[in-house]
Amino acid sequence: MPGLTQKIRNIVSRTPRRRGRRIRKILLEGIKRGETILRTKGITKKFPGVVANNHIDFEIKAGEIHAVLGENGAGKTTLMNILFGILRPDKGEIYVRGRRVEFKSPLDAIDLGIGMVHQHRKLIPAHTALENIVLGHPKTGKIPNMRRAKEEVKELCRKYGFKIDLNARVWQLSAGEQQLVEILKALYRGAKLLILDEPTSVLTPLETEKFLKSLRIMAKGELAIIPFITHKLPEVLSVSDRVTILRRGKVVKRLKTRKATMKALAKHMVGREVLFRLKKPKVKMGKEVLRVENLSALSDRGILALKGVSFSIRGGEIFGIAGISGNGQHELAEALAGLRKAKGGKVIFRGKDITRASTLERLKMGMGYIPPERVGVGTIGGFSLVDNIAMNLYFDKEFSKRGLLDYKRIRKHTEKAISEFDVMAPNIDTKAAHLSGGNLQKLILARVIPRTPRLLIANLPTHGLDVGATEFVRNRLMACKKEGMGILLISEDLDEVLQMSDRITPIYDGKFVDIIPAKKARKESIGAMMAGAALKKSR
Amino acid sequence: MNLPGLKLEKVLVLTGREAVKISVYSIIVGFVIFSIFLLLEGTNPIDAYKHIFSFAFDPSLGLVPTIHRAMFLLFATLAFILPLKAGLWNIGMEGQLYLGTVGAFAVAYAWGDLPSGVLIPLMLIAAGLFGAGYGALAGFLRGKLGVNEIVVTIMLNLVAYWLILFLIQGPWAGPTEFRSRELPASAIAPEIWEVPFTVFLVLAISVIIYFLSARSNIGYQIKTFGSSSSAAEHAGMNPLKISIFVMVVGGAIAGLSAYHMWAGNPTFYLIPAPQTYKAVGDFTYWGIMVGLICLLNPLAAIPMSIFVGALKEGTSAIVRRLRLPVGLDLLLLGTLFLTFVAFQFFHRYRIKRIRGKG
Repeated sequence: MPGLTQKIRNIVSRTPRRRGRRIRKILLEGIKRGETILRTKGITKKFPGVVANNHIDFEIKAGEIHAVLGENGAGKTTLMNILFGILRPDKGEIYVRGRRVEFKSPLDAIDLGIGMVHQHRKLIPAHTALENIVLGHPKTGKIPNMRRAKEEVKELCRKYGFKIDLNARVWQLSAGEQQLVEILKALYRGAKLLILDEPTSVLTPLETEKFLKSLRIMAKGELAIIPFITHKLPEVLSVSDRVTILRRGKVVKRLKTRKATMKALAKHMVGREVLFRLKKPKVKMGKEVLRVENLSALSDRGILALKGVSFSIRGGEIFGIAGISGNGQHELAEALAGLRKAKGGKVIFRGKDITRASTLERLKMGMGYIPPERVGVGTIGGFSLVDNIAMNLYFDKEFSKRGLLDYKRIRKHTEKAISEFDVMAPNIDTKAAHLSGGNLQKLILARVIPRTPRLLIANLPTHGLDVGATEFVRNRLMACKKEGMGILLISEDLDEVLQMSDRITPIYDGKFVDIIPAKKARKESIGAMMAGAALKKSR
Repeated sequence: MNLPGLKLEKVLVLTGREAVKISVYSIIVGFVIFSIFLLLEGTNPIDAYKHIFSFAFDPSLGLVPTIHRAMFLLFATLAFILPLKAGLWNIGMEGQLYLGTVGAFAVAYAWGDLPSGVLIPLMLIAAGLFGAGYGALAGFLRGKLGVNEIVVTIMLNLVAYWLILFLIQGPWAGPTEFRSRELPASAIAPEIWEVPFTVFLVLAISVIIYFLSARSNIGYQIKTFGSSSSAAEHAGMNPLKISIFVMVVGGAIAGLSAYHMWAGNPTFYLIPAPQTYKAVGDFTYWGIMVGLICLLNPLAAIPMSIFVGALKEGTSAIVRRLRLPVGLDLLLLGTLFLTFVAFQFFHRYRIKRIRGKG
């Protein structure tokens, strides 16, 4: 049977490594700035029920930064995974330097000189930066020559102007530095085309600035960079050469960045006009709902993370805390929600001392908490929408009688809440795991807000959401303010805090730096305080 | 040339129907693998399987023992299912069974002259309470201090084993060595349709557990806590309360099985020799398999327990009838367990064909 031997021979000869090496040589030889490095033709990928990518044509030249924009669910991730060989397209072709290629696995893509930096870092925290960069490189061999590797990596750093301590352990590095390690790792493997997934989502404003600068330096040579972005549009404008916008799996617009405005980009992404300026409604402040006196709390590691903060919130007021994660704001939120014991100080809610009250008592008294982790904490993927909504109903006598849940009422309440908050789902028995990030956040809002809490703690309410969902959440919070709820807004996004809040405090190292009324708030000074400027001065 | 390729895909949500399909396939594959052993022994597998079921369900032969054993297994399964709904692994059915034994026998020996109508309920209550208390230990340690309940329950099993051995050699020693005294006649379980009434008790408990999980407030809390403990805490649920509750109820059910076993089966009516009561204790572990195959559904556990009980009775019978090596019955159950565990893989992944382009 000649067929079988032929089959076997085919399998053997098509092992990805060998094939990859062969093509890579061609790719690497003298690619010049301006030459087309990668082109896709009619990429189509279907998943049950959705066409994630619908005939996508895309092209990038060496030395170019070509951003891909799109909301959650627009098909960005699918496209990215196809370009990196994680998924295979149902239809369509990929050309690298004009040559048709097929990726069997990411290894093929890496061999061809494509590197990917994931949104969630894939590094080993206990290893040094250098070790992470060298790890798994084919050149490294069994006994790595660390000295030579270090020289090579240092050379790369010099070339692109990266400043990083290669001997530091990864867990000691900041988010921005970790990202550099990931990029270096790709470059060290000879990547000529970098795919960046939400590159700035975890960076502080200062780090973002630095990072964008190094991107520009990188693109001065023959490197090509594709950042995939859902939000943070200003950065797209400042750094990219071209933009491709995806919506519902299709390319809706290709344009030169020079000719783009933020408003236009958002409009193409969302499919309608987006208001970037929120109108702060004039609301008469009500009574004080929350007073916190000298509250302190320990972190999970047992270190004093919240070091004595005092403030109060009135009904109809949004009190904004701006800070980089890890400065005690999460401990504060959890201490207020009853999820974390207070180490010292007092919490007074609606006139009652609740410092020692349980989470349940606080919920019953009218506290609402929007947690930063949407999956697993805010919602349970395996639960239907009804069961997810019931998390804020089960303790209410209206929905639970003689130990039994009144599912009829719960379902009715769910129907109403879901439609009011525009959660896109076939029906209320859909599992939450099927919802996108924006829809999950809407689901959480639909659970918390219709219970009309007196105090709403919104911890990173728009983190990682696309433009449309962000706008929705902000509008909803404003509506809550109008209804007279007191809102504690915790965010890493300084613009958001400035836009929404009546009073603002930067938090740094477990302390409030200053409490500033919105009218007097200046972005630059608060940004500096978030990074600890004022504290250092006063010392 | 087109070579079909296979690819693994993560399963996000497992529908009930798919889950049932996976369980059924795993059982079929288990039978097929076991057939190989039967063939190696020179037996026709189809014949053997026919013998197994015809014996187990023959009213004049195996039916009553099958039901008795199956319902004992159902007790153990329910004792395992409820805690696992809250994410706690109760591996202590054996110890809870022994403690239930202590409770039931203590009452029977102390007030043996009471009429059945009083004594039997008292024995059941004592068995339930003792089992519940034993389960509560593990629930408390887990809920309060985060101590792993698997380790605690397994260690408590050993403690309980030796406690029984002490009792039947000392205070409760009977005329035969290593056996306890016989139960008073008034303590023996009355029969309904030739089976002890405890059979209906455990069936009722199945239904109650089902409704508790599906409709009740605490059932909802258990489900939430079992799916994500941090989500449950954010919703104001109390981990300690839930952990203790499930272990108390689970322990009580396992404790009740002691009465069913010793007072419901004419071969016993006493605490038998260590190797025998240990074998009964070991049988509770099959509750883990049944519970997992049924995906923690207490109603599905009823037919599944009967199925496993029948297999156990039936294989012991073919071992005698077809002169097969002793231990083959355990091998069959073991094979089924292994294939089932292997098939768990399909709860997370599904295999998808992809088109290969030459």
